[in-house]
Amino acid sequence: MEFSISGNALKTFARSIICLARVGNELVVQASPTQLGLHALNASRSAFQYITFQSSFFDAYAVTGPQAHFSVLLKAVCSVLRTPVASIDHMSVQLPDHDASKVKWTMECYSGMKKTYWITCNVEPDIQQLSLDRSRFPSSLVVHPRNLSKLLGNFQSSLQEITIIATDQTSFPSDAASEIGGKAVEFRSYVDPTKDGEALLHTQLWIDPSEEFLQYTHAGDPIDITFSLKELKAFLSFCEGCEADIHLFFEKSGEPILMAPKFGVGDGSSSSFDATLVLATMLVSQLHEGVQPEPAEAANSAGGHAAEQVGSEPQERSRQNASDHTRVWSELSAGTGTKSVNGSVERPQAQGQPDFNSQRIRDMNISKGGPAGDNAPGASNSQHLTQMDHAEGSRVRAANNQSFSQRHPSNWVDDASEDEDEDEDEGVEATPPHNEDY
Amino acid sequence: MSSSPAIEPYTLDLVCQLDNVQGMVDALACVRWKRQQDALVELSEHGIVLIVEESGCLQAKVYLQRELFTKYEYGAEGRPKFGISLGLLVDCLNTFSSPGHSNTIEIKYPGPDMELLLKSVDTLNSCIYSEIRTRIPETNAWDYNFEQAGTAPLTFTVKSSALKEAIDDLEWPGSILQISLQKSPPCVTFRGEGHGDLQIDFMYYANTDLLLAFHCDTDVSYGYKYKFLKATTANIPGNVVRENRGSKLTIGRGGMLKVQHLVSVAKAIAPQVESAGYQPPSRIAYIEFFVKPEEPADD
Repeated sequence: MEFSISGNALKTFARSIICLARVGNELVVQASPTQLGLHALNASRSAFQYITFQSSFFDAYAVTGPQAHFSVLLKAVCSVLRTPVASIDHMSVQLPDHDASKVKWTMECYSGMKKTYWITCNVEPDIQQLSLDRSRFPSSLVVHPRNLSKLLGNFQSSLQEITIIATDQTSFPSDAASEIGGKAVEFRSYVDPTKDGEALLHTQLWIDPSEEFLQYTHAGDPIDITFSLKELKAFLSFCEGCEADIHLFFEKSGEPILMAPKFGVGDGSSSSFDATLVLATMLVSQLHEGVQPEPAEAANSAGGHAAEQVGSEPQERSRQNASDHTRVWSELSAGTGTKSVNGSVERPQAQGQPDFNSQRIRDMNISKGGPAGDNAPGASNSQHLTQMDHAEGSRVRAANNQSFSQRHPSNWVDDASEDEDEDEDEGVEATPPHNEDY
Repeated sequence: MSSSPAIEPYTLDLVCQLDNVQGMVDALACVRWKRQQDALVELSEHGIVLIVEESGCLQAKVYLQRELFTKYEYGAEGRPKFGISLGLLVDCLNTFSSPGHSNTIEIKYPGPDMELLLKSVDTLNSCIYSEIRTRIPETNAWDYNFEQAGTAPLTFTVKSSALKEAIDDLEWPGSILQISLQKSPPCVTFRGEGHGDLQIDFMYYANTDLLLAFHCDTDVSYGYKYKFLKATTANIPGNVVRENRGSKLTIGRGGMLKVQHLVSVAKAIAPQVESAGYQPPSRIAYIEFFVKPEEPADD
């Protein structure tokens, strides 16, 4: 297999490599007589990017036999592309034969230097096949990368995951979105409660799709998707460099999302290459955090007995797979675990938002059963529901953080120390509910 | 025959003045590849030479000949030598230099306790003054005894920026860098092998700007430790690289490599005056690196 590129195509190729390097470590190259495909998968297998180039993209392109493939470390390819693309006259890549151990990358520079790299191929390439039909996604949005960059600029740069909540522009859902009027999309920072419990800064951004997006399609119930920001930002730079808009396809939490560049109509070069980024989303919906604070509240209001029970629950949960924070989340929201198994039975206790209930039932299927607590937490749950009708995420997390900090029953000396913990954890919670009786 | 200690304060070994401290800083910075380096300074009637060494395999010399200085009064008998910390000297000289100006400095040796004395002499109302401790050098600088390889020199001159770029790129394979000169077609090749391989070819006919000179009558190839070759280009200051003069590389007997750079020490301001044909060639400092080959008898 051999191909050679120069000029703008080389710039696009270099940009593609940089984007793939921000997703995964290994570059898999698959060459067929008509097209070249590059893909990378990240370590946690939650992000997959593939880019395809038609043979017309290249100055010269030849594949012997039906197919050729190899895989190399992306770090090595990035070393090759350290030379500024502007100083390269043309570059050619050659795989001498199907079982060659090294791929040859040759660059002729304008300065007269000729640089030849031989990169060792990985012995067992991890070749993935993934094709998602874009038409299966009911919802989508198109946004200019600069705009999206600007919107994301409102969030902490160290933020790892973000939640996008999409609502139907035509309806007025009974949740917080109605207060914001017309702003059908919300971006919300996602903070993993299992990591340090530090949740210092939470950000919510309500967006009017007609102002910020070029296109927006969503009908039906509000949905939310939570996914990693790192790969999104990499793809954003890629699209910006290609002068294309970002087309985001989604369905709902737990289903993957797909991103692709959307080229302008008159852009001829767009036909010769295409890129797709698929990201996994968190299983559990973030839309129902309003009902979660009761563990802390139960913990605080109860005396030693109930307190111990609640205290032990977080302990148990924490023993579970730490990365499975989605499970932990939903268990907490189920009024400390009891309800998780019989979600549908207990739900009638929760007064208020039927919308939330229905979705939470689905969520409950995911969580494990926690230890059976007494009804006290449940009752307080309902009480708290009405109170925390439009609870801010931050308040919720504050409460949850408390329960995490109180993992060890030994922390539970007396109520006084609980108060201290509360104060230490979050300044956000103005009126700690620990004085309520249930 | 040593220089007399300054019991007679009016007979110093050296009093000299330089009207562009930054040029001297640039020249000395080229040979600063470690934070802490001891340098050997040798004074003579011809100028100042500063020598830095590492592990017996790499030596660098900075020649600041007397024509660089606006004043050079040499009063010693013989050639006084002293040891000094290179980092300290460069950092100290840097304080005398302000960006955008050409600052004049006066250097005297020895001070009352054998120090090197520096003083700013271009400002009327203020003065910067420094004394740097020197040491008695324990050993003489290793004489690398560079000799021509054969009947004709094996040498090529390449643009400094291209050389630096090539050596920077060769960091990837690392370890040993093989330099080969090929007589026909005239070509210089740098090659490194490691977890991956990289070869950079400088072809004489590829671009008239790249290889400015090339002399080779037999094909040769020698390997050098990458880290030493990197030291020869890594610390050339940016402005010097941008000037993009030629760097000359010569392979001597046994594969000893000599790398030479030129650093301009001319005054930064008033270029019009200088460009009236009068750019004295001696306003250039010479930097020389000697690198021992890895396998001395390799060919």
